[in-house]
Parts: sequence; C-alpha cells; structure tokens
Amino acid sequence: MKIVENLMAFRRAWFPYLIALLIAGLGVLLWIKAGPEFGLISLPVLCCAFLLTRKLVLQLVKANEQKLSLDRQLIQSQKLAAIGELSSGIAHEINNPLAIIGQEVEWMKHQAKDAGTGAGGNLAEFLDSLMEIGKQVDRCREITHKLLDFARKREPLIQTTDINKLVEDMVRLVEREAVKRKIKIDRDYRPDLPVVQTDAPQLRQVVLNLLINANAAIDAGGCITVATRVVDGGYVELSVSDTGCGIPEENRDKIFDPFFTTKPPGKGTGLGLSICHGIITKLDGRITVASEVGKGTTFAVRLPVGRRKGTTG
Amino acid sequence: MEGFRVLVVDDETDFLETIVKRLRKRKVDAVGLTSGVEALKYLETEHFDVVILDVRMPGLDGIETLKEMKKKRPLMEVIMLTGHASVESGMQGMQLGAFDYVIKPADFDELMEKIRQARERKSIHEEKLRRS
Repeated sequence: MKIVENLMAFRRAWFPYLIALLIAGLGVLLWIKAGPEFGLISLPVLCCAFLLTRKLVLQLVKANEQKLSLDRQLIQSQKLAAIGELSSGIAHEINNPLAIIGQEVEWMKHQAKDAGTGAGGNLAEFLDSLMEIGKQVDRCREITHKLLDFARKREPLIQTTDINKLVEDMVRLVEREAVKRKIKIDRDYRPDLPVVQTDAPQLRQVVLNLLINANAAIDAGGCITVATRVVDGGYVELSVSDTGCGIPEENRDKIFDPFFTTKPPGKGTGLGLSICHGIITKLDGRITVASEVGKGTTFAVRLPVGRRKGTTG
Repeated sequence: MEGFRVLVVDDETDFLETIVKRLRKRKVDAVGLTSGVEALKYLETEHFDVVILDVRMPGLDGIETLKEMKKKRPLMEVIMLTGHASVESGMQGMQLGAFDYVIKPADFDELMEKIRQARERKSIHEEKLRRS
C-alpha cells in the first residue's frame, strides 16, 4: 500500500522530482567538467532539495484540497440555510393566523357552553368569532397562493411589447393613489424605444410591484421617477426611482429573498420582489437595486430586445 | 374578425351596451352580461377568446369571477376594467393571471389594441400547447 500511496503522492507532487532531476543533471555536468568531487557535492544538495520541495508541494496540495472541500460544504450549508429560512418563514407566517383561529375557537366554545346552560350565549360574539376565523383563513390562503405562485413554473409567452406604453399604463394606475398623498410621478421615457419581445402581463406585474413599493417607501410629498432607456448590446432598461427611506446596506442583498420583509407581521408576506426577480430572470433579464438610506432607491430592470435562447415563445 | 369572440361583463348597463355595440361595429362577435354569476353560467357552454371584466360588481365581484374563469377556461384572456382603480385589486388581478388592468373611462382604440394583444396571447398559448 505504501507503493500506491507513493504513486498517488507522485501524481499530486511531481515538482520535487523535477527539481531532483535537474540537480542530478547539474551534478553529472559538474562531474564531467570539473571532476568527481564536484559532481558528488550535488548528491546531498539533491537530497535536501528533493525532500524540502516535496514536503512544501504536498502541503500546498493538501491545503488546496481542504479549501475545495470547505467551499463545497459552504455552498451546501448556504443552500440548507436558504431552505431553512424559507420554511421557517412559511411556518411563522402561517402560525400567527392559526394561533388567532385557535383563540377564536376557544371563545366560541365558551359562548356555546353558555348558550347550552341557559346562561345566554351571545350570538353577536359568536358571529364575530366566525368572521375573524374566516379572515385568518383568507390570510393563510393568500400566503399559500403566493407560495404556489412563487414556485410555479412561469413559462413566458412572448409578444411584441411597447415598454413605454406598458410602464405608463401601470403608472396611471398608481398615480391615482399616489397623488392623494402628494406624491408626484415623473416620466422620462426614451422616445422611439425599440419594441421588446417579452411577456407583457408578467412584466406588468413586476412594474406594478415596483411602483407600489416606491409609493410605500415615501411618506408624503415625495417623487417617483420612471424612466426608460436603451442599453448597448441590444437591451432596454426601465427604472423606478423613489425619494423614499432607502434600503439599509445590510438588507440590500436580501430583498430578493422570498419571505424577506421589513413590514410588520400580517402586512405583506415579502414574496413580491422574489417573484419579480424570478419573472425577470425567466425573461432573460436582470433586476438590480441601488439605494441610499434617507435619499431614495432605484430599481432597474434590463431586458433583451430580442428573444435569446431560441425559444419559440 | 374571424371567430373573434369577446365577452363583456359589467353591471353598468349603459357602459355595457356602448361597448358591445362598438365592438360589433368592428366586426367582433361580442356578448354583454351584467353579472359574474351569469357570465360563469354562460361560459359552461360558450367559448370566448377575451373577456372584459369589471372589477366592482355586486354579488360575485370581479376578482372572484376572474378566479372561477381561470379555472374553467385557463386559456381565455381576461382584461380587468374598472372605474374605481384600486392598486390592490390591480395587483391581485394580475397575480391571478389577468392580461391587463384598465381604468375607465378607457379610450376605445386602446382597449381594442389590448383585446387584440390578449387574443394573440391566447393563440400563442394554444399553439404552444398543441406543439408540446
């Protein structure tokens, strides 16, 4: 087995043998040119050099293998962490409504008992509880639907789309509500923007989501700017900027993660941006964010003008 | 337009009649109904390419009707229409698969263009399924 080990060691660390060979060659040269004493000096030098470089190279190889193994473990544990976060997000979101349902059921049992013993149960209370249960069930349903929506394979259906028009349609929808809070919306559409081959209804969802977020980020009296432009290499880019609170640096990588939300529990399950990211990726595009706390945020969506992967669409 | 069938569902009868009339003038085979329940019943036997659906209706509202329509006729495209634009219902509608969301009063030519695009999407979708 020692032989096999040595052969393996040779395969990983052939360099020392090369050095030994070179020194031996030098030794032979010296022997020929300057005589045996000089030639023989090369022997101890050869041994030292060989052993030293062999040790160093083997250590380097070992260190490299350890690093690769650690990298693999890191990726795996990151994946598990992401799954863990997703599951705990779901569990947490569903737990709250379930707890409320449990409480209401207890209360209803109480009311029913009172009614049974003739102590006069309160029908209004009973109905109230049922309504609350209904509300919580709806909340759970919304969560599971969003999750299914998120997991759904969203195969795009490609049509020729006028991006300026698409964005403007969504802006008009949001403008009605934004104006109530004295938020104005500025347009900066690139005239003659090339039409894009993309899935219009899905893109509408993304744009509307970004506009809703922009609106929510501003307290009052701010400004949302929508812009479109052409990018080199056959791309079109649309952006939604707001003068809102901005996204702190530590959150910036997480905002596209499912279930990440900065809203209080019960308000928004945080699946919006992760769905947007999924949609844009499926459309061979890219969605990026730039933000400064206290100043504002800009989301940019970049899309190829033509369809890339040769799908029939 | 050959076999281009559009269903309009809106409880506002004045608006409904106007739209159906204008659609028919453009050679679209248009039918108008005033409630979600009626529409769903009609869809049990009839097929349409595109539906124009009002969001705020008494009884079964637009969103609920949309859900049922997507179950019954998943390929049929739905354009949501409303006079009371609610961003929430817009988002909800589109997440449920509505093709577009239009605020009343809508420019009729723009609406026609959206109907045309919705129908095109239906054709593309059908073609894709046929091929797979």
